[in-house]
Amino acid sequence: MELLKFCQWLNGTPLSVWLRESPYPFPILIIIHVVSIALFGGIVVMGNLRVLGWAMRGVAVTRLIGQFRAWKWVAFAILLISGLLIAASDPMEYYDNIMWWISLGVLAVAGVNAAVFRYGVYRSVAAWDRELVAPPAARRWAGISLAIWIGLIFIGRAIAFF
Amino acid sequence: MTLAILASIFQQAHPEALPVNPIARWEWVFPVIESLHICGFTLLVGTIVILDLRLLGLRLREQPVSQLARALSPWIWAGIIAQLVTGPYLFSGDPFEYVQIPAFRVKMLLFLLALIFHFTVIRAATAPSRDAAPLGWRRPAAAVSLCLWVGVMLAGLWIGNL
Repeated sequence: MELLKFCQWLNGTPLSVWLRESPYPFPILIIIHVVSIALFGGIVVMGNLRVLGWAMRGVAVTRLIGQFRAWKWVAFAILLISGLLIAASDPMEYYDNIMWWISLGVLAVAGVNAAVFRYGVYRSVAAWDRELVAPPAARRWAGISLAIWIGLIFIGRAIAFF
Repeated sequence: MTLAILASIFQQAHPEALPVNPIARWEWVFPVIESLHICGFTLLVGTIVILDLRLLGLRLREQPVSQLARALSPWIWAGIIAQLVTGPYLFSGDPFEYVQIPAFRVKMLLFLLALIFHFTVIRAATAPSRDAAPLGWRRPAAAVSLCLWVGVMLAGLWIGNL
């Protein structure tokens, strides 16, 4: 299988060997990964809570989402790169780890959910920007997003358990 | 805490018995509680970053500081309470081990300082009477707050590596 061959090749690269065998890269990568999750997740969760009308009702939805968009994407880039490097540190291990694949799948679902919001109900945001509570379609999206991110934290932690 | 001490006394009297405390008894309890702990600090990071970036004058400048602080307050409390419940419970699994880990002691010290700083200096910085005044000293105060919370997170993540 092509993917297995890729993992075997990756496993033998100097980068992978270094990440696996030096004492510091792995714990440092884990710390960078979790800090970026907290920053990215924190911003996403506050946006979700605002759309749900549970937090920061005095702030316009577009202000909150727009003002922290750059921080959110920088955190996401760090999250993704550190995550891939963690996977590269021991590709054979993660190839066999069901939780790793589930986390990747749930991340994809989160991406689709975010795109549905961005190119769906968010296009009409001007009409409800200052509303204390967003329309039902937006609230439904925010609730799903919140549940996905909480679930992803549990699944991500479970990777190390399996 | 008390429960943990009782558990360890029981453990010493009956070394062959299974631990009474669920976190020491079943290995899946720890990652589940730790996931909740990560959810709690994700919430704390989200709220603190929003508040401190406002105090630094970098984000949401049109929003009065006191109004933003009041809107975030219940969520900051929720985050702190989540940490005060899950943290000591994680600790109860192996209290004598944790107290010997330098990163654990550093984390507790930083957490205490972050809480004191938040409820004294940051509380004063977000008083309604200061809304009209220039940010002045509140900028460095916000920087100190951010450093303290990031420090708590880094020290906490380092515990697992020692």
